[in-house]
Amino acid sequence: MSAYLQVEGLNKSFGGLQALRDCSFTVAQGRITCLVGPNGAGKTTIFNAITGFLVPDTGHVTFQGISLDGRTSQQIVRHGIARTFQNLRLFVDLTARANVLAGMQDHVGEEPFTAIFRPFHTARALAAKQDAAMAVLAHVGLAAQADMLVRNLSYGEQKLLCIARILATGAELLLLDEPTSGLSGAALSDVMALLRRLQAEGKTLLVVEHNTRVVQQIADDVLFLHQGHLIAQGAPADIIADPKLAEIYFGGAI
Amino acid sequence: MDFFYTYIVLAEIYVLLGLSTNLLVGIVGIFSVSQAAVFGVGAYLTAFLVMQTSTPFLVAVLLSSILCIGLNILVTLPSLRVSGDYFVVTSFGIQLLATAVFTNWTGGTGGANGLPGVPAPWIAGHEFVEPSEFAVLATGGMALGCIAFWLIMRAPFGALLRAIREDELAVAALGKSVLRAKVSAAALAGAFAGSAGGLYASFLSFIDPSSFDLDASIFLLTMVVVGGARTLAGSVIGPFVLLALPQILALIDIPSSVAAAARQLIYGLLLIAFMLFRPQGLLGEKL
Repeated sequence: MSAYLQVEGLNKSFGGLQALRDCSFTVAQGRITCLVGPNGAGKTTIFNAITGFLVPDTGHVTFQGISLDGRTSQQIVRHGIARTFQNLRLFVDLTARANVLAGMQDHVGEEPFTAIFRPFHTARALAAKQDAAMAVLAHVGLAAQADMLVRNLSYGEQKLLCIARILATGAELLLLDEPTSGLSGAALSDVMALLRRLQAEGKTLLVVEHNTRVVQQIADDVLFLHQGHLIAQGAPADIIADPKLAEIYFGGAI
Repeated sequence: MDFFYTYIVLAEIYVLLGLSTNLLVGIVGIFSVSQAAVFGVGAYLTAFLVMQTSTPFLVAVLLSSILCIGLNILVTLPSLRVSGDYFVVTSFGIQLLATAVFTNWTGGTGGANGLPGVPAPWIAGHEFVEPSEFAVLATGGMALGCIAFWLIMRAPFGALLRAIREDELAVAALGKSVLRAKVSAAALAGAFAGSAGGLYASFLSFIDPSSFDLDASIFLLTMVVVGGARTLAGSVIGPFVLLALPQILALIDIPSSVAAAARQLIYGLLLIAFMLFRPQGLLGEKL
């Protein structure tokens, strides 16, 4: 049986810099897999390659037995993979609810013909989506902020909204780029609790994470990336205990 | 009274152009400075159809709109490859190109001398000659445009366009086609500009390239800036305010040559003042 997500032999060069070097790994369904490694290890490049934002020079990505090679980012979302961005990329001049609505698929009236010539049909369908969007917001704990402009939300709320927005796409595999960075205290535990809740609901998570304490607490599997290559894979305790990896991660002689 | 109705008709035609420009520039964020070129093509094509082929007025306006849909998609397509500032330059080139064609293709457009004798519209045996009669047509056209714009803005399509203006990449990451949305918006903006052109040519019965040049495109942007971006109210009030200015200047007893220069001066000052002190325009949002 093939893996849930399989990444095989990815290579990607930007000019003289080899961002990914024969990078291969698998992600198991229903688990939280953390992608760790020092800055510049290629973590975000992998996200870009999986989600169709970047075409690798060589290599393959397979999701639930279906090849994603050559697919556009839109097609990949339709296959059930969605990603967040390290720098959030929320629509800050829209409300939290509108951000979640933007993530929903198969909107009636998302093209002008239906919007103009079938206005009542469009309005009814939108009303139903509004309810669904509220449910997603409530799920991440942002129901009270639904009608606030995103630029007025706290950083922690914005981080939660990023996850809400991709949940709205209906994706089963969530790629989260540093969901906890910049957070502490209650905001940090909110995000961690949400990640565990999503796992319990059957989602699969691939998470870029820098905070080793977070990794220890949420990860089932850890992938350690260095210079675009997977150099270790295993349970969080084993990876963190490995002195060689710690040296790479925290700097020092290589 | 003709004086008043002429103002109303022209303002209503410019509302259609304001909707067109607001849709592209205000809502999607495609900074086009060539909307007057598309407006011109609509005007010249309607004039050609009713004068040379005796096409009924409404059919001619419809055909002009269809051509302008295609044309506006073509001239907007570069925005998919080049973004922001670079597209402005591309769009600038398109506008210059169009002005050159309008001015030099004497066989088709009458060149710099213009094209006189565009007949007034005939609809169901009635001729709309007087400004007060034409106002009925222009009001109808404007109302249709406003309703379409309003329906779009409250539909998911409007939300998608706003999202695209903020972050195209994030829209693509949510499984939406940025290309399709931009092409749709360009098509609509083309339909608005094309039908405005048809009404304009039929109303004035004389058209020349000066109505469709770069100054005209900048005038359309001024309407969006003064009226306000991204709202229906802003698109409507901008043209009414700006077109009232020449009428007010006409009431003051100054020579017409001075009035024309004063008008340009005031438009320029308004543009600067609004950008500095009221970027959201009278009834809109910040551009």
